[in-house]
Amino acid sequence: MILEQLAGNLFQGVVLGTVYGMATMGLSLIFGVLKVVNVGHGAFIMVGAFTSFAVFEYLGLSPVFAIPVAFGIGMALGMIFYYSSIRRLLKGPELASLLATFSFGVILEEGVKFLFTSDFRGFNWDLGKIDMGFTVLPYAKVAACLGSVIIAVLLYLWFNKTRAGMAMRSVVEDGVGARVCGVNVDWEYALSFSLGIGLTVASGVLLTMFVSVGINPYMGGEYTLKAFVVAVLGGLASPYGAFFGGLVFGLLENGSYTLFAQIPGLEPFAMTRFFSFLILLLILLLRPTGLLKAK
Amino acid sequence: MKGASRYLPSIPVLLAYAALFVFGLLNPGRWQLVAQLAFYCALGQAFNLFMGMTGYVDFGYVAFLGIGTYGMAISISELADKGLGLGVIVIGLILSVVFAVLLSLAVGAVALRLRGAYFAIATIGVNEGFRYLIEGARIWNGSEGIIFSRQLREMVGREAAMSLSTFWADVMVFGVAVIATVLTIVYMRGKIGYALAALRMDEDAAKVMGINVTRFKIIAFITSAALAGLLGATAWALKLTYVFPADVFGIHYTVEAIIIVLLGGAGTLLGPIVGGLIYGVSKYYLAVYLPGFQLLVFAPVIIVVIVLFPEGTVGMIKRKLIGTALEKYIL
Amino acid sequence: MSLLRVENVTKRFGGLVAVDNVTMEIAHGEMMAIVGPNGAGKTTLFNLINGVFFADEGKIWFEDVDVTHYPAYKRAHMGIGRTFQISRPFASATVQENIAIGAMFGAAGSETNVDQAMEMADHYIGLIGLSSHRDKLAGGLTPIEKKMMEIARALAMKPRLLLMDEAMAGMNPKDIDKMVDFIKRIRSEEGIAIVALVEHIMRAVAGLAERVLVMHQGAKLVDEPTKIALSDPRVIEVYLGVPPGEADA
Repeated sequence: MILEQLAGNLFQGVVLGTVYGMATMGLSLIFGVLKVVNVGHGAFIMVGAFTSFAVFEYLGLSPVFAIPVAFGIGMALGMIFYYSSIRRLLKGPELASLLATFSFGVILEEGVKFLFTSDFRGFNWDLGKIDMGFTVLPYAKVAACLGSVIIAVLLYLWFNKTRAGMAMRSVVEDGVGARVCGVNVDWEYALSFSLGIGLTVASGVLLTMFVSVGINPYMGGEYTLKAFVVAVLGGLASPYGAFFGGLVFGLLENGSYTLFAQIPGLEPFAMTRFFSFLILLLILLLRPTGLLKAK
Repeated sequence: MKGASRYLPSIPVLLAYAALFVFGLLNPGRWQLVAQLAFYCALGQAFNLFMGMTGYVDFGYVAFLGIGTYGMAISISELADKGLGLGVIVIGLILSVVFAVLLSLAVGAVALRLRGAYFAIATIGVNEGFRYLIEGARIWNGSEGIIFSRQLREMVGREAAMSLSTFWADVMVFGVAVIATVLTIVYMRGKIGYALAALRMDEDAAKVMGINVTRFKIIAFITSAALAGLLGATAWALKLTYVFPADVFGIHYTVEAIIIVLLGGAGTLLGPIVGGLIYGVSKYYLAVYLPGFQLLVFAPVIIVVIVLFPEGTVGMIKRKLIGTALEKYIL
Repeated sequence: MSLLRVENVTKRFGGLVAVDNVTMEIAHGEMMAIVGPNGAGKTTLFNLINGVFFADEGKIWFEDVDVTHYPAYKRAHMGIGRTFQISRPFASATVQENIAIGAMFGAAGSETNVDQAMEMADHYIGLIGLSSHRDKLAGGLTPIEKKMMEIARALAMKPRLLLMDEAMAGMNPKDIDKMVDFIKRIRSEEGIAIVALVEHIMRAVAGLAERVLVMHQGAKLVDEPTKIALSDPRVIEVYLGVPPGEADA
């Protein structure tokens, strides 16, 4: 009984973990290229969730259409934030860029609250479900999972098969060398930052398949924390590492939920949240040198 | 600068607190505003002791206020009927410091070994993580929190409980602000201040100079956390007489602390009170014109400050005063 | 008893062997130059000696204490001082404060309070001739002044061994001669051993060091008294056949 439940939850964990992975790729891309941690990461996911909600509720369109819209919004926000501040802060102390990205998050949260109020919203994209015997999976979640894989593959192809993608990779691997080879590093920074934000906002659309009524301006904090866990699991500077970190985290999260639910006296939902924080600290504690070297 | 004269910069700060306090006493109708301002100044002063002096930003700072609130709440709810009188409040203050120090040791043991970005990553979840531990493991009543207004009334009487919440708690907040100010200048003028300044500017060079950077960071971190614990115990627990995990671990208090310190000038002594007054007064008036959206106004302000005025208000004033007689009073 | 003993030390960065099985010794009060072209592993060797990096293999002894796993600050307390190839002043502190930080936390740091450190700083500021810049922010100094200030900061640490990384890079011959005289003077006044890293200023090496260690591709090539080392054909080859006398620039 418990094993069947565990199997079902772990399977769901893989599906959700794929989306977590995609939702963290932008964070890792930005850190990999600019060495900036986007502390406001979750707020950008929240913007994606509201985009998805608006496209579905106000325009009556499938959330599939929300993905390019969200990606575009993210790219635009990324460009605005990059050119207005990040660009000037790259040479300063790390503190400055951390505080700036943190402030972006607050601006987005408060801005969305101004436009949409802080009510909880949600929508249901009903495509039916598939009964797999040990668990039931809505097709909307399958779609989100597939969407994540497709976006990850597209990013891989872009990095490896296009000139623009290869130029960006050259900046990650050797900023000075790339400059010498005629790569416009400033533009690559701007592009990576907005691409990272674009991916993050787009991932917010996919995540709405999993939070039926949880769309709210302050929903992002939770995802910032989760994304950090995923990112340190997979190596902070690698978007693909992040993708696999997402899978691992999805399994850990759903597995631990199932186990916490068996222990009387515990609130499994809150304990799972605490557990993800604990994982974060443990990784940072056990592999601090390794992680610092990744820097 | 030698001997006692190096402590001169504490004079304007302490005078400002005295003036604010007297203004509040003379204008009882404005006491709530004055108390709120004192809270923001104290918050900034306590937060600055770590962030301003080390250049590390602890995004989970509010967790120390939260746990301090619990220290006082537990003391009153458990000891109210033991006949200790106001000793319970003293025990509550001590407990809040102990809790905050223990939590800061636990967090610091992991986070302070990490540099820059990784430090931020390690701390940003502390408040949420701790909130969910309390709720998830149903520690201290879990998400139902602790309501101890009845115990407080039974302990000291209705009148005294009332004046404790509406007046003496605020006086204690002033006290925390003053303690934070004194500790800040003692640190700044002592060896630890030079060690922290060195590691803020170049951590690797500081190590080569013989500075045990981890040790000094931990001292600043614990001190800052202990002050936050006191602030939670006074400004939140005593004032509200209840505590809910969802309230006291909210990240927006960390946001406010960051705004205050940056507006005033990170790493300065006078900065937090200047930032606290600017923020507190603006928030008060924004609450009239744009209720609930003060952060929408202030978050862009942080970015403007970081990009254009990274030294903050006091940093700019200090630069203007170089070479004048006032220079030695501003830090 | 030697002051510093480095035994078969190796440091790798990924696939690159930056320091390859180097063994060396420095006696108390000795003056030594480590030369070698850019990328020879000199600065990495310094970083291993003073604890910025830790050796992958081998051992480092300072005054017969195994310091291989000691962090940088502990080695500073024991008496290892250091200047950097690219100056690293505490930019928004004054010159006096910079040097006082060395006095406060170096080998004599535990007995030095803030006031005493400031007085010591004044002494060293006088020594390097920067008294008029005492209250200036270190970030505003010229590159050469920054180098001088770094030396003063390291001296204020009261080291027994001073590691100087490219103290003369970018200087003209006149300044180099002045610097050589200055280094000789502080060595005899403070009674400390000095190891200087020099990329290619042979004029300085010849005037300064009693012994020369030549590094090439991470390994020790030559370790001989200066005269012998500088006429060693392998050394000349490392420097692309340029005779030592002409490699001043």
